Amino acid sequence: MKRALFITLNEVRLYLQDKADLAFGLLLPIITFALMYGAFGGQTMFKATAPVVNEDRDAYSAQLIEQLDKVEGIKVELLTASEADTKLEKSDLLLVLFIPSNFTETLVSGDKAELVFKQRGNGGQEGQILASIIRGVIENMNQEFLVRNQMRSNLEGKGIPENSIEVTVKEYLDKERQQPAVGVAEEVTGGSPDFINQYLPGIITMYVLFSLTLSARAIVEERRRGTLERLLTTRLNAWELFIGKFLSSVARGFVQTFILLVLSYAVFRIFTPLSFLASLVISLIFAAAAAALGMIIASVARSEDGATWIGVVFTMFMVMLGGTFFQVSEGTILATIGKVSLNTYANEAFRTIIAKGGSLGDTLQPLAVLAGVAVVGLIISRLIFRAVPGGK
Amino acid sequence: MAEEFLVVKDLHKSFNEFKAVNGVSFSINKGEIFGLLGPNGAGKTTTIRMLSTVLQSDSGDITIGGHSVRNEAEAVRNIIGVCPQDLALYEDLSALDNMVFFGRMAGMGGKEAHEQAMTNLKLMGLVERAKGKVAKFSGGMKRRINLAIALMGHPQLLFLDEPTVGIDPQSRNNIYENILGLQKKGMTILYTTHYMEEADRLCQRVAIMDGGQIISMDTPYHLKSQIGSPEKVTLEDVFLKLTGRSLRD
Repeated sequence: MKRALFITLNEVRLYLQDKADLAFGLLLPIITFALMYGAFGGQTMFKATAPVVNEDRDAYSAQLIEQLDKVEGIKVELLTASEADTKLEKSDLLLVLFIPSNFTETLVSGDKAELVFKQRGNGGQEGQILASIIRGVIENMNQEFLVRNQMRSNLEGKGIPENSIEVTVKEYLDKERQQPAVGVAEEVTGGSPDFINQYLPGIITMYVLFSLTLSARAIVEERRRGTLERLLTTRLNAWELFIGKFLSSVARGFVQTFILLVLSYAVFRIFTPLSFLASLVISLIFAAAAAALGMIIASVARSEDGATWIGVVFTMFMVMLGGTFFQVSEGTILATIGKVSLNTYANEAFRTIIAKGGSLGDTLQPLAVLAGVAVVGLIISRLIFRAVPGGK
Repeated sequence: MAEEFLVVKDLHKSFNEFKAVNGVSFSINKGEIFGLLGPNGAGKTTTIRMLSTVLQSDSGDITIGGHSVRNEAEAVRNIIGVCPQDLALYEDLSALDNMVFFGRMAGMGGKEAHEQAMTNLKLMGLVERAKGKVAKFSGGMKRRINLAIALMGHPQLLFLDEPTVGIDPQSRNNIYENILGLQKKGMTILYTTHYMEEADRLCQRVAIMDGGQIISMDTPYHLKSQIGSPEKVTLEDVFLKLTGRSLRD
């Protein structure tokens, strides 16, 4: 076992000598984190531009636009009808609010007016959110109309001036808005932005999987150098060689994850000390499983290019099927196929800890699968490994 | 009678239909330098791989220092050192780090490995470059490091597979002197080479292999005397007479 540790230390030493490898292994997680921070850090509010074609240009359309503009995060962009059509045609915009020319006139006459959403397909995710916000603003306007009309009909013929009715309606609505019958309270349970909770597990698992390719190359490189055969003429046995290489791969995957987790802990404050430790344990077990798969590839591949390609294909396959960047719905075919991906279990474990606030005990099932893959993978790789064709 | 340190009996190894080694038998006495000669593809390297426990034979027996290679591979690995035909070094590490690492693999303690590494580097005339990266060494220096590593762990039997390929006369001469020095200290050496004058100079006995078989085995002197006056013919003449002049793959 001592010799296995020497193999690990030697691998680490070689890793530190290779500047490109070192940069890839250590700096890339930091750069990724910086990008994550730039993209998501402190910005969790929805922000969008609401494209509006105002063919009415009268009092109520102006009021609607003013109210829309007051919504936090929404900026109204006024377009002509032809501009809007062109942009929709080119897919530069996916959804536009059209206010028809008779909008104010219709409302004043007491008839029902209609606004139009012109959209491509379902309007896209941003378009759907915008539409929902615009509907909310229209709902408020409808409520005002309802109250105003009700008030007018109640006070009709009592000699009260129109101005006074308008002031009373306004006061009533302001009071109602300040003390609504059904209110919504916001409870902040942590400073963690949702984007980070959603994507951090995926980024972590992706980095651990990169180490799969690197560990796949480790033995092939040793063979190319001629040192593999030489090592096997020393007292080192094949199992010690395997354990040594395996441990160095685990260490490499774990260190990359550790960097990401520490930075996330310090900057995004998404962990408690306990959940941080739990995430480290998951990283370690996942790194072991990925390293064991890398060892199988290393035992099969005959060239460094071959090992790299098999590793990359494995990584992409597992990232895509494992719900790394999007959550796979239960019961779908993708979810069933995704069971063969290590990422499925790693993501499940990380999301349980990071997004759901669970404990290590809640992740026992996915961790057992990952640990099983690590042990079985290591045994399989040893059984199929040959230093030279026909050799030990 | 000389003590036989390595005994090979009726060794066979095939790769699919190709018989790489086909009934090879020989023995090497303790303290002897034994040359294994042959054209490319003769089966020399496959034989060394079987002797050094990397490859398992299909049949036949190999005993080294009284230990069976098949049944006591670990004991065999404790007493052998291998200098492979191709350089087997970590080019990104220093000469010293390479040697200490292989010393640890050979079962040496840290201090002992460091001391022997320095001794071997001195022997090879490389002590000044101990901390230099191997990648920056010349071909001859790398060859000497390759040999120095094989000596880590105090082996009793050394396999030298073409240790002087592609190096200048100075480095080659240094290697010859070291090999003869090791023999004086009682080391047994199995030596393969394509340079016949090298085998003539260093080896007490040589075996000439072709087509996976040993076609002749004797002292260089006796082999030469089979085709003429040993003073006039060379070992290369014997080699070409026995293996023919046709080109090999």
